Amino acid sequence: MASSARSSGAAAALLRRRPNVCASCRTTQFLRPYSVAAEAQATAEAHHLKPTQSEPHVPFTVSRKAEYRIRSSIILSRAPLLTRPLTPFENAFFFYQKRLNERLTTEFRHSMFFKKDTAADLDWRIKLEERGGLVAKELGRYYAKGRNAWNDELLVGSTLSDENRIRETLLKDAEMRVTEDGEKAKPDEIVPVEKPQPRITESDKKNDVRKLDRKLDQTLYLVVQKASGEWQFPTDDMSTEENLHQSAQRVLDAAAGPNMNTWIVGRVPVAHHVVQPKFKEDTSLAAKGEKTFFLKGRIMAGQADVKENTLGYKDFKWLTKDELKELFPTPYFKSVRNMMADR
Amino acid sequence: MASRLPTALPRRPTTSTLSTFNTLAPQTTSSSIIPTLQQTQTRNATLIKRPKRPYAFTQVIQLSDGSTFTMRTCSPHSLYKSTKDTRNHVMWNPSEKSLKNIEVDEAGKLAAFRERYGRGWDAQAPEVQDGGEEAQAAAAGGAAGKKDGKKDDKAAANASFENKFDSSYDPLGDLISQYAVGVPEDKGAKVAKPKK
Repeated sequence: MASSARSSGAAAALLRRRPNVCASCRTTQFLRPYSVAAEAQATAEAHHLKPTQSEPHVPFTVSRKAEYRIRSSIILSRAPLLTRPLTPFENAFFFYQKRLNERLTTEFRHSMFFKKDTAADLDWRIKLEERGGLVAKELGRYYAKGRNAWNDELLVGSTLSDENRIRETLLKDAEMRVTEDGEKAKPDEIVPVEKPQPRITESDKKNDVRKLDRKLDQTLYLVVQKASGEWQFPTDDMSTEENLHQSAQRVLDAAAGPNMNTWIVGRVPVAHHVVQPKFKEDTSLAAKGEKTFFLKGRIMAGQADVKENTLGYKDFKWLTKDELKELFPTPYFKSVRNMMADR
Repeated sequence: MASRLPTALPRRPTTSTLSTFNTLAPQTTSSSIIPTLQQTQTRNATLIKRPKRPYAFTQVIQLSDGSTFTMRTCSPHSLYKSTKDTRNHVMWNPSEKSLKNIEVDEAGKLAAFRERYGRGWDAQAPEVQDGGEEAQAAAAGGAAGKKDGKKDDKAAANASFENKFDSSYDPLGDLISQYAVGVPEDKGAKVAKPKK
């Protein structure tokens, strides 16, 4: 609505000099300063016409079928293994909600969970005393029922809501503080809890693009390098003997070897890419065009191996969407970007 | 939306607001409106009790493959380590050979049971029916020589009976691993029909 109002306003400004145009024509487009030649060129470009043609054929695909090769390609992806890290705003929001919840819930009833004078009971009491009588473990020194209950917001720059700090605090709290004899453990007797693996792996540090344990919170896609040095998804010409999904499976086996447990998600292509044919002046073909159809696959286990591939690829990489954007030529990336998830 | 709202909302008329109304608004209109605003104060919202919710802690959950996440829970423990979950269960890991039905029989109790009652009670029928059974029992129990013919027949009958109804084909579990190699046609349909 806003854009049409703006364009009509612009047209009105243009037409103000010519008072003989009626008001209804002011919003139409025929008065734009198009030259005939430019318009014809635009039509030819839009319909990919041959040099001698002026109008597009009616049965477009039938008449020009011979000018294209049909190719099948597979986009093999590894699903993200981790959830994404939270933003500082999300951390702060959840932290605030937890503090708010402290004010609204019923109090923790210790006797419901711990039998009196057991090791677990003693353990709980030791930790509770260390926290200053606060039941919540990761919310800092905040007394929800006290006089300063209103003061539940964090100051700018506070690291209390950081998710790593919260995880560290909880894991620290999971340590057993009572010895087997039922006494309070000395500091050297406390067995620390085994830390979970970090989100950043060795392959992330080395940026080893051939490893599958890189960028664990994003989807990785398999790309291969042609002998000419160009990167693309594994692609091959289709024969008339096979269907698209069979062809995609064949391409995958031929390009990346059998040492993978894969699953081709569907039989319908998820993306397509068209390279227009090139013509000489006498309308004969200089180079055939290509229509590539992409199928979606998932890798469950194994690893790609291009050593014995029959399609002439010399290298492979597992890359994220952002890295593919840098690597691919723009038209190729534009054709496939919509099938890729944001992360 | 706006038309559904009640036209005269209960407000909290105080003397001060009434006086400002009188001074600001023209006398002709306000004289008819202000008497409707003068209502007794109601505080319905305070009568609604908050639902009682149990106290919730934040807990770190560690799955069997070591991956962790935090969640809110009533449990006062700050770390929960799962021993069996989707990461080490056969259903979610159909291609993992190490998870497939391994029998732990260190004390030899299962072997002793089989020696006495045969293999008819097994969850899965043995692959080899004739002859092989004896060999398996011999390997397990080490006392195959004491078997008499009657017992052997009974066991074989049990096994064959079970085999008729037992389907080794798992349509859901092997879906992912079998899709790539191509599912053999009509196999599932044939197995699904029990003979009556």
